[in-house]
Amino acid sequence: MKRLREFAYFEPADLDDAVEILSGAGQGGRALAGGTDLVVDMKTGRMRPTTVVNLKRIPGLEGVQPADGGSRIGALTKVAAIESSSLVRDGHRALAKAAGVLASPPVRGMATLGGNIGRASPASDLAPPLIVHRAVATIESRNGPRDEPVEGLFTGPGATTLATGDIITSIFLPDSPPRFGSAHLKIGTRGSGTDIAMVGVSAGVILDAAGGIVDARIVLASVAPTPMRALKAEQVLAGLAPSDEVLEAAAETAAGECQPITDLRASASHRVALVRVLTRRALIEAVDTARSGEAA
Amino acid sequence: MIELLLTVNGTPRTIEVEVRTTLLEVLREGLLLTGTKEACGVGECGSCMILLDGEPMPSCLVLAADADRCNVETVEGLASDGVLDEIQRAFVDTGAFQCGFCTPGMLVAAKALLRDHPDATPGEIKQGLSGVLCRCGSYTKIMKAFEVLTGRKT
Amino acid sequence: MTTHVGRRVPRVDAREKVTGTAVYGVDVRLPGMLHGATLRSPYPHARIISIDTKAAAAAPGVEVIVTGRGFPFIFGSAIKDQPFLAIDRVRYVGEPVVAIAARTEAQAQEAVDLLKVEYEVLPAVLDPLQALEVDAPLVHPDMHTYDRGPHEIVPNTNINTLWTFERGDVQAGFAAADLVVEDEFTAHALSHAALEPHVAVARYEAATGAYTVWVSTDRPFQLRGELTAALGIPSDKMRLIVANVGGSFGGKNTLIAESIAVALARYAGGAPVRVEFSREDDLVATQTRVPAIMKIKTGVTNDGILTARSADILWDSGAYTSNTVGVAIRGSSTIFGPYRIPDLALVARQVYTNRAITGSYRGYGTTQVTWACESQMDMIAARLEIDPVAFRIRNAYEEGDSYINEQIMHGVGLRESLERTSDEIGWGDVDRRPAPHLRRGKGIATMIKPTATPTSSNCVIKVEDDGRVSVLVAAPEIGSGQATVLAQMAADAVGVPIESVVIPPTDTAFSPFNGPVASSRTTYHVGNAIRMAGGDVREKILATAAEVLGFEPEILELVDGKIVVEGESVTTVAGLLGGFGFEGHSVTAEARFTTRGSPLLKAPPPYDWMSSIFWMFATHAVELEVDTETGVVRIIKVAAAQDVGRAINPMTCEQQIEGGVVMGISNALFEEFKGSGGRIENGSFAEYKLAAMPDLPEIIPIIVESDHSEAPFGAKGVGEPAAAATPPAIANALYDAVGIRITDLPLTAEKVLEAIAEAAARDGE
Ligand SMILES: Cc1cc2nc3c(=O)[nH]c(=O)nc-3n(C[C@H](O)[C@H](O)[C@H](O)COP(=O)(O)OP(=O)(O)OC[C@H]3O[C@@H](n4cnc5c(N)ncnc54)[C@H](O)[C@@H]3O)c2cc1C
Ligand code: FES
Ligand code: FES
Repeated sequence: MKRLREFAYFEPADLDDAVEILSGAGQGGRALAGGTDLVVDMKTGRMRPTTVVNLKRIPGLEGVQPADGGSRIGALTKVAAIESSSLVRDGHRALAKAAGVLASPPVRGMATLGGNIGRASPASDLAPPLIVHRAVATIESRNGPRDEPVEGLFTGPGATTLATGDIITSIFLPDSPPRFGSAHLKIGTRGSGTDIAMVGVSAGVILDAAGGIVDARIVLASVAPTPMRALKAEQVLAGLAPSDEVLEAAAETAAGECQPITDLRASASHRVALVRVLTRRALIEAVDTARSGEAA
Repeated sequence: MIELLLTVNGTPRTIEVEVRTTLLEVLREGLLLTGTKEACGVGECGSCMILLDGEPMPSCLVLAADADRCNVETVEGLASDGVLDEIQRAFVDTGAFQCGFCTPGMLVAAKALLRDHPDATPGEIKQGLSGVLCRCGSYTKIMKAFEVLTGRKT
Repeated sequence: MTTHVGRRVPRVDAREKVTGTAVYGVDVRLPGMLHGATLRSPYPHARIISIDTKAAAAAPGVEVIVTGRGFPFIFGSAIKDQPFLAIDRVRYVGEPVVAIAARTEAQAQEAVDLLKVEYEVLPAVLDPLQALEVDAPLVHPDMHTYDRGPHEIVPNTNINTLWTFERGDVQAGFAAADLVVEDEFTAHALSHAALEPHVAVARYEAATGAYTVWVSTDRPFQLRGELTAALGIPSDKMRLIVANVGGSFGGKNTLIAESIAVALARYAGGAPVRVEFSREDDLVATQTRVPAIMKIKTGVTNDGILTARSADILWDSGAYTSNTVGVAIRGSSTIFGPYRIPDLALVARQVYTNRAITGSYRGYGTTQVTWACESQMDMIAARLEIDPVAFRIRNAYEEGDSYINEQIMHGVGLRESLERTSDEIGWGDVDRRPAPHLRRGKGIATMIKPTATPTSSNCVIKVEDDGRVSVLVAAPEIGSGQATVLAQMAADAVGVPIESVVIPPTDTAFSPFNGPVASSRTTYHVGNAIRMAGGDVREKILATAAEVLGFEPEILELVDGKIVVEGESVTTVAGLLGGFGFEGHSVTAEARFTTRGSPLLKAPPPYDWMSSIFWMFATHAVELEVDTETGVVRIIKVAAAQDVGRAINPMTCEQQIEGGVVMGISNALFEEFKGSGGRIENGSFAEYKLAAMPDLPEIIPIIVESDHSEAPFGAKGVGEPAAAATPPAIANALYDAVGIRITDLPLTAEKVLEAIAEAAARDGE
């Protein structure tokens, strides 16, 4: 079996200590949450950290809590807990759905929200719905805590704006407005199961009382170096009634504005085709949930 | 080297390991519990599935240090005093294995699934066991085993 | 009358497997054991200029470093062409170059990083068509000087196997046809992906010069033969011991981890050396299914009677031949399908390329040729506008038909398999459009497979004085349930309860010879040997009973471990033999079964060697659903019928059939190697996807039982054909659903979507 290379290991029980150790370790330092990305990367050699800082002994970083104007999800909250949290399901359907299709149940029981953001995979299932839901990350650092919209965190495959020693502590999910609906869809190698996305689409819409689209967000996975907002497609929808034609036009625009690459999982042209289909389907689902007024 | 205290299948065990050791390595090589297997090393196949504080997890991705003071259950802990538990019994009766290499992980995942969903539907069974691969393709017979266990037609 | 045969006996290996106590190759641990790691070639073709091992030798824990020059032996079954470790030249990405044994596996892996090898990159042959080009680089320029079997090669080319076959006059056959179609199909490389990776533990004793190797293989005697031939040592100096095998599917039939472990052990000062492949190495650097490019031309009359077929097949053995020569010869001939076709012609060539080694894969070539044959059958049916099932039945072999070499075939349950699967799937009745973007369709495919003939199996049965019956056979349990069916047959042959039968693990030092556990031959061949030896043992026990108890032998029976006289039990085997006390009394018998000389094999030379002692037939009918917007295919139901002769254990037959269907679905829809420049880049289960539980359709296994006069209790074989018919049945159902025809495997969603778009564009024109 593939063996891990040596590293120094710390289990701080205190957030400041963790920040301190990670800062001291510099480029070779890595936070460990669920390990479902980090340990894999260490085995394949994609990453060879010299210092690993386990965050799981730090109290207060896990769980979903009601917060002022929304909910707060601890960075160490397991994907499985997000999937089943009623605070997430009510109002943040895309995120709950995404959590339900991320890997197999045992992996969901290990993987964390913070780790998913930290890994910054272009194929991430959680980043697109977080962006749809306008989530904001709270980050602890040597210079104290700061807030950053999740949307602005990603700078490239595996790269974020996080500096050495930065630790995501929680994610704030603002309450969804009335008549908001959202959806998350993805397709992987084995069809519509839980494989890493060849293409993933999260969509959210806010309708007005008359049923017209006030605002829409569409975020695509696996078609750009980072999770990508389909801004032009969003604009197509603004102010219009969500007819089949309008949703299809938005889907087509999304397909036109993404510029995926060909890699092991799919060709660029197949990805474009899937963006179109999944965007339309996600929008239909989002509009339906917005109309039904239930779990949005 | 670090010293770990693990409760494995009900028995407290102290063991000294290198920091870079995975829980799977501790089980197979340190404690000689070779029932738990490795077939991929990257969380995809479930051959290494164990229960960590009751939850199914691929032990190939768990750092041993991270499991310190935890409760670990492996396939070896399913039978008690040589009496097979109901899931093992059902796998035997329905022939839910061929080469048997995936079977330890499958049984452990099945145990957690059945505990959480005693009346699991066919869809829930397939999703619940989706993290364990069987190259021999014993899936149909595994569904049969669940038919016996849940008393529900799959 | 049988007591155990024919029943759904729970598997005899069940308890150890559900309790995690079963010992597999990967579980073998010996005191003082060292651990191996391997440096592999990064290039498809290169000359090794220098190897610098200094830094690695100084690394902590390192005990042995060995290179190809340090262990310069060559092995191979049909052609001796493969070094234990590359000697002077590497021929594929992943070829072992240097092996290291250290005290821990981590140390060995770290030391490998310290090795420095200088290469001179050579032009490489990266695909089989390029291999045929006149000025193609030669992968083995000295091939003609290698030790090899009697098959034909083409010296000074990359063609390592050439086989041609003709019957009748194929041109006349085409002339007699109303329709002649010609198509090309490709079947891709696949990983066997047995969940237990390749592993071996080897020990060498300098004092005696003897090796002991703990292996995970389906053919201990054949591997021993390859090793002793390569090293030039007698058989007693190479002992192979087999634990449980965690799946093989044909992949564990050559020296893979074994060769590296043996090379390291030679220099390990008596310490055992364990070599286990990581999944990445297992995927990219062991062996795969042999990829094939198949041109097939078929003539047919307007009434759907096949008149002629010619085929031109190009097989890619990769860098070394492994077991591919037999695949290219035996496998090729089944491209004629299970059909009566008067005029035939075949040219099969196999080439070396600078790619990972290929080898036999569940079906020994039949998965590839069945893909071509059965896809084309439906294409013809569509052209003639006749029903695919009726078309097949019209041409299908029946009992007593003659095979392409004129062997008269008996035990032909083909028609029944076609009829029962099509009934079960509800042929002709499809809910075509369950939703606007979903289409459904049904498809069928069938196949024929011979078993390796002639081969032999030996068996020794030993009855101890407590009534326990040891059946010594070299038939490792690779997962297909052979231990169970052999125990069932032994129990009936001797007349004892199945609980008293034990089948000890295979050890070439003690087990009698057997051919490989492959080609679905075990039940038939070993079963016959058991039946013979079991009958003998029973006679001997009864003779002893007659002597001890004073009865006429003729009136004694052995039933369920009891000596019975006129329906009354007078003693048990244990009572009888145990009665000898300290003097002791063990009863043994041995038998050798061979198929050579069977009247069933009669056929005129020169093709009499193509006769098979039994023929296997399998038909799969598939119902599926296509998402026309994404190309995603969902298999709804598969009815899979297989002619097994007689089911010794219906449960183990179903296991093989159901498992074969799952493998077939996985092969057809998901599995594919990706990469470029001879490099495989998806060496992980994260990117090489196998079918999982959510992909499981409803599978209806159908056991067809035909008669076979020489089979043990009537049983033929079941495991190998089980995966071959699924992919073409899926392709045919796709055609039924959306009118697309994909001729190159796999049928990924991407290809399906593309084909749907092309079809729509065509129809729009
Ligand atoms: C079999 C398998 C299937 C998978 N399938 C999917 C899938 O379908 N979709 C998907 O999106 N992902 C998938 N993943 C990837 C992975 O499970 C997720 O990305 C997961 O959310 C990572 O969380 P973790 O806690 O395990 O992260 P870790 O592995 O612990 O960490 C990942 C990275 O984030 C950093 N990090 C962790 N926590 C923090 C923090 N609080 N602050 C700052 N940095 C941090 C780490 O240093 C590391 O670089 C899969 C993984 C596996 C093994
Ligand atoms: S070995 Fe752990 S999931 Fe495969
Ligand atoms: S029984 Fe062989 S892998 Fe599942």
